[in-house]
Amino acid sequence: MIQSTSIFSEWINQQIDSDSSFAFSETVRSPSLSKLAKGVFPTRKDEEWKYTPLNDLLTLRPVNYDLGEMDEESIQYLKQAMPESHTIVFVNGEYSDAFSDSPSAIEDQGLSITPLPELEGAALELAEETILNSTLTDDNIFQHIALGLTQNGLFIEVDKNIECQTPIHVLYVSTAHGMTGFTSPVNVIRVAGNSHLKVVEQYASIGEAAVITIPASYVHVEDGANLDYYKISLENAGTNHVCNTIVKVARTGSFKSHQYLLGSNLTRSNLEISFSGPSAEAVLRGVYLGDENQHLDVRTYLDHAHPHCSSDQHFRGILNGHSRGVFNGLVLVREHAQKTDAQQANKNLLLSRDARVDTKPQLEIFADDVKCAHGATVGELDSDALFYLQSRGIDKKEATLMLTRAFAAEVTQEIDIDSLQAYVQEKISASLDEIVIPSV
Amino acid sequence: MLSIKNLQVSVEEKPILKGLNLEVKPGEIHAIMGPNGSGKSTLAHVLSGREGYQVDSGSASYKGLNLLEMAPEIRAREGMFLAFQYPIEIPGVNNTSFLKKALNEIRKHRGEEELDAIDFLSLIKKQMKLVEMKEELLKRPVNQGFSGGEKKRNEILQMAVLNPTLAILDETDSGLDIDALRIVAGGVNKLRSSDNSFVVITHYQRLLDYIVPDFVHVLSNGQIIKSGTKELALELEERGYDWLLEEAESKV
Repeated sequence: MIQSTSIFSEWINQQIDSDSSFAFSETVRSPSLSKLAKGVFPTRKDEEWKYTPLNDLLTLRPVNYDLGEMDEESIQYLKQAMPESHTIVFVNGEYSDAFSDSPSAIEDQGLSITPLPELEGAALELAEETILNSTLTDDNIFQHIALGLTQNGLFIEVDKNIECQTPIHVLYVSTAHGMTGFTSPVNVIRVAGNSHLKVVEQYASIGEAAVITIPASYVHVEDGANLDYYKISLENAGTNHVCNTIVKVARTGSFKSHQYLLGSNLTRSNLEISFSGPSAEAVLRGVYLGDENQHLDVRTYLDHAHPHCSSDQHFRGILNGHSRGVFNGLVLVREHAQKTDAQQANKNLLLSRDARVDTKPQLEIFADDVKCAHGATVGELDSDALFYLQSRGIDKKEATLMLTRAFAAEVTQEIDIDSLQAYVQEKISASLDEIVIPSV
Repeated sequence: MLSIKNLQVSVEEKPILKGLNLEVKPGEIHAIMGPNGSGKSTLAHVLSGREGYQVDSGSASYKGLNLLEMAPEIRAREGMFLAFQYPIEIPGVNNTSFLKKALNEIRKHRGEEELDAIDFLSLIKKQMKLVEMKEELLKRPVNQGFSGGEKKRNEILQMAVLNPTLAILDETDSGLDIDALRIVAGGVNKLRSSDNSFVVITHYQRLLDYIVPDFVHVLSNGQIIKSGTKELALELEERGYDWLLEEAESKV
């Protein structure tokens, strides 16, 4: 069980001992550091990690020196997903003054965006309190890496009764030119009562080298507030991306999450949501797209502890080559959570014989007056639909592409930022163009 | 146009078509009638290139080309069209962009310029009037959530837009009420010309009240057992199929 001797965990221990400037105070860091000191990484004997090996990640040794500059052109290219937004850019984990929109340019009153190192006083306390009030069910080491080692990230805070018009686009870029990079950004988002906010987190890499990205996000949606939270992960094929997102939604609050996991060697996304009051809702959407030996693991946990809350999940996987997908979704409906409405769907499309998916939707219900449903499918393209398209003059490759794009579009069409929807659909199409070969 | 000679086809080793002959010339409408299980839909599927059908012997040529060796999309690009008995729902594929793509593939094949969005839209709007289809159906995914009648109209709309030289209508009348039937048949009649041919596969005579065929063939047990003119269809309507089947058996 204990892999304390892995190259990566040795490196982590060295970081703990180094005198870098970390983002959080000892209150937040101490518990995480003591976990890290033990160096326990999960293995496939752990139920939670049964399908997801960490071998590739644990043999990496990141470097601490300059990983390369970011050029203007690449940034502009990445910004195109969200031309109308407040853009905040991090390059190799560092906040970039040059590429980010200045926080003072933000016109929405009551919205503040602060890089973690600049936090002080009450704001720092609030950010830390938000983290300390969020607990992971799966006490995995990765959130401790993020909390213990992070030097940067963002605190986004919205006051009560604010309708933020402009979405926030947070861009995490790694420049991976021949050396292994490491970033572990922490994002803390608080949306106060009756306010509305949209945040897009985008992860990208320039270059081909392996990168380790271990983000953690802590989100509080307060009474009657709304947060639309998008995550786009499109890092290079050497990347190992393990993220945790912990969300609390208060009375009549609404949290909508979209996750598009389109890159990396290994992606593991753990999303945990708990309702802290009645009549709250969570809507989760996602697409994971894999080729060659990519591994994509999506986990969701929905804790229905209060009555009249609803959750609606819809995740789709497209897997080609030898890629592997894992979906594991647990919905817990506690005894007092009457009138819960919980829906969960996971659909997977296997484009090759060697692709594989393990899907495990789970419901644990302790209340007796609830409406819950879950379902999972794994299949190939519908041969009747393929023939129908061919019979109208469209060749098999193009028909395959159209149907596969359509499979993803049933989720992506729900992205309600037009430029982002177009961007994600185009990225999915571009990936499919590369991987779909006519199976004649 | 279409020449089928002694076509023998089996599905999972079971013979379905047992020596079928059919000649269709430009401008002709042929009706193929027959009881359930006679091989009508198999004929439609084999002609359109669907997988799962084993051609054991015989030939089918279309415009002088060996039809049986052509991929389904090539048949379509060469001007063949199958109106499906059960049109397929394709979630996530927009009806308009699907049809535009199909038309442009066919135009490319013919060496014609592709239509841009504006030209295509004006074409499709014109053809929609032909089948009295609601415009909102264009914005929906292909056939998804369409009623039975709307699906069949969508087939005829596709046919009108793609303008085939040979159209095969596979039980297009099944599941249609009389109004829908009239609209669908009206669409077909407006597309009739001296260059275009139709093979209308149907179980019932009533479609032939609206689409008047030049020839009527009766398919039974994988063979055409009788051919005639439109009067044959009326006779079938009156007397059913049994007398013909008996007549055919007594000949054997």
